[in-house]
Amino acid sequence: MRALIIDDSRAMRSILRRIVSGLSFETAEAGHGQEALDQMEAGLDPDLCLIDWNMPVMDGYTFVTRVRANPAWRNVTLMMVTTESEQGQIVRALAAGAHEYVIKPFTPDAIVEKLQLLGLVDKGVLA
Amino acid sequence: MTALAPELSDVHAVVEQVWSSFLGDEEPLLPQYDASGPLPADDVWSAAVSIHGGWAGTVTIELSATLAQNLTRLMLAMDDEPLDDADVADAVGELVNMVGGNIKSLMPGPSTLTLPYVAAGRAAHASDTTEVARLDAAWVGEPVRVSVHTTS
Repeated sequence: MRALIIDDSRAMRSILRRIVSGLSFETAEAGHGQEALDQMEAGLDPDLCLIDWNMPVMDGYTFVTRVRANPAWRNVTLMMVTTESEQGQIVRALAAGAHEYVIKPFTPDAIVEKLQLLGLVDKGVLA
Repeated sequence: MTALAPELSDVHAVVEQVWSSFLGDEEPLLPQYDASGPLPADDVWSAAVSIHGGWAGTVTIELSATLAQNLTRLMLAMDDEPLDDADVADAVGELVNMVGGNIKSLMPGPSTLTLPYVAAGRAAHASDTTEVARLDAAWVGEPVRVSVHTTS
């Protein structure tokens, strides 16, 4: 399984990388949505994208809409990981095609639980 | 007119949650730091995010350079490798992003959050803003200040 971590903060990418690497995901990283799209168009084939909302160049919401507009990427699981916690924004992201939503700050277990719900991690696994 | 402001207890709860989630529970964030004066002008990092929309304000974090470097090492899982300023700016910016985003959720919306702006040095605030909440704390003996400003 491969996870693409999309966040403009290197520190946050590092934290998320350690969590999903501990779950046996291979990881790739991008600093904004456009960089992530570029990697996917170049052949990176992630099973999971962890997506910040507020980023320069292309935000996470736009990234979700762009991925969902491409049938070739219909099997990619999209999970928002963001400080954006307004209910309207959460609904908007889920309606656009995000599968799950995690609000920062989070614990590693919160990420694991969401991945278990999505069927990407076996039940009983802890980060 | 009194500016609408987040409760200090809510600001404290947000900061504690961010701190414990990313920096661990072993060293608690202590709110009793004696901050009778300003943080030193040198040897300090600051970062801020602004909120626009249903409520408008700025959330700022100022912390000692030692604390900024220590939390950067924790967030990046680095031991003794040298840190550069970009690493510290990134980590401090992400901290204020999380604190500011959660304070935004306490206030009337809808609203938007800017990307963080980070500086090596104390934060500067526009003359038409008013400080409406301030949390002075210490982590492992190093000072950290979180303040919320609104436009007067």
